[in-house]
Amino acid sequence: MTRAFFSGMRIHVKQFTVNAFDLSAVVLWPILYASIAYYLLDGKNDPELLLSASLGAAVMTMWALVVLGSSGALENQRWLGTLELLVAAPMPFAVALAPITIASGVVGAYSLVATLAWGALLFDVPLSIESPLAFAVAVPMSALAIGMLGLMTAATFVIYRAAFHLGVAMQYPVWIATGLLVPLSVLPAWVGPISWFLAPTWGFRAIRDAALGGPAWTDMGMCALLTVVYFAVAAVCLRVFENFARARATLRLT
Amino acid sequence: MAPAIAVKDLTRTYRSRSGAFRRKTTVVEALRGISLSVEPGELFGLLGPNGAGKTTTIKILTTLLLPTSGSARVLGLDPARQARDVRGRIGYVFGGDRGLYDRLTALDNLRYFADLYRVPVAKKRARIAELLELVGLTGREGERVETYSRGMRQRLHIARGLLHDPEVLFLDEPTIGLDPIGARELRDTIAGLHAGGKTILLTTHYMYEADALCDRIAVIAAGTIVASGTPSDLKGTVANQTIVEIETFGAGDDVIERLRAVRGVSAVAVETREQAQVVLVQSPVGAEIVQALLRELDGSTLGKVVTREPTLEDAYVELVRSA
Repeated sequence: MTRAFFSGMRIHVKQFTVNAFDLSAVVLWPILYASIAYYLLDGKNDPELLLSASLGAAVMTMWALVVLGSSGALENQRWLGTLELLVAAPMPFAVALAPITIASGVVGAYSLVATLAWGALLFDVPLSIESPLAFAVAVPMSALAIGMLGLMTAATFVIYRAAFHLGVAMQYPVWIATGLLVPLSVLPAWVGPISWFLAPTWGFRAIRDAALGGPAWTDMGMCALLTVVYFAVAAVCLRVFENFARARATLRLT
Repeated sequence: MAPAIAVKDLTRTYRSRSGAFRRKTTVVEALRGISLSVEPGELFGLLGPNGAGKTTTIKILTTLLLPTSGSARVLGLDPARQARDVRGRIGYVFGGDRGLYDRLTALDNLRYFADLYRVPVAKKRARIAELLELVGLTGREGERVETYSRGMRQRLHIARGLLHDPEVLFLDEPTIGLDPIGARELRDTIAGLHAGGKTILLTTHYMYEADALCDRIAVIAAGTIVASGTPSDLKGTVANQTIVEIETFGAGDDVIERLRAVRGVSAVAVETREQAQVVLVQSPVGAEIVQALLRELDGSTLGKVVTREPTLEDAYVELVRSA
């Protein structure tokens, strides 16, 4: 099962990197977000705020890549006719699907590094990391947790033929509910508890606290917990939705 | 010995809805209670026109669709309820361009599917090499699949379907869209697998393919099996008939109806071959109908007129037409 998982990761990262359009998005988005963070906050006077905003922008990219990458990949699999073959494999479907979303998370982790690099290069955003060890763990941990949130949402993409449109629709609500787009303090109070159940909230906090100082390991613990919960929910959902798709004949577009 | 595949009274209904406000439900009965049995080591053909229910049957047996009612067993297992167990013991190959990661190499594709189908690491490399050799792709495995011809893709499909050495192989119209040489090469590969003892369920709408490859055939039309048996058995259904083939140019429906009404005519079918329409008229052996047919065609432009023995294709056309 582990071998199938890593083989899937390899194949989907490879699939992703041979697509010039996807690759250009990965390169351009971090520059775009780093620029927005800089000009929006006019952060020359507050380097910490600027770094925090850059990290937030990077986590936004990570989620965008996961949700769009996995929904796009699933729609692509349906067009290629390989979705049926993944379902027809003797492996649990979650093992075949998880590499797709986590591969997107891994590409998203790269975008975080790229955002920081561009921020430092173009806008003098400080790159001082308070706890390099915590930072080195927080980035892949966040990628994994966000990838697993992607897996959970991808379960619904299995039954909907227009998976990519659904993915696009899910991008902003999570950005907003996790406080990445606008601070949670300006949103209604009921949004706060929702953010606790979303991996980007804890992923961002873990990376930010590792970089600027704070309870990064606690945040990472929440990421780990959510990863397990997401996987369990996704595995159940995938079984149910797979049967749903087998009953409704939606695995193939033809 | 228990059959490798056993299907009894299998039905499948598709429901689709359209319209935003006044939802309209369309119901299509793809399978209307089919029953069939395939013995271990047998190459069984499911023959029928487009939309007859061939692919639906295969998808139910390969666990990709749930039946509406009836029962199916593959190697004694229920594909609806024991999907995981069935999946490890069968291979599924479908025709056409799809089912492969185009931007990756053939080797990437095979390695990935080998891992998904639990091929042991120690055997993986040798198994892939063996299959590439079997399907004639040795030396081309490092090229991207998008550069492959349709025939090469189809042979790669076969290799993918055989990675885990399945006991039963399902081939859904594997030669569709292939050029004659590619189709012949693929048929040779299928014949080789059959000779090696593999149980194969093949769907096709090419009569000569079913005739050349299959031990037994079931003809399916409109979701029902209308005949089954060996190719000789099926030919036997029209053995007491003679076929008159008349090449015409521009004969209208009224002319065809007049031919149907000729005394002694059992059935009339029309095939289009380039600019010509070839009218195939069946009649009992000994019925002298040629002159009567030519009288009805008086005024039409005619080409060759041939009287011949019936083929499996004639049997098939008759079975499907009368379904």
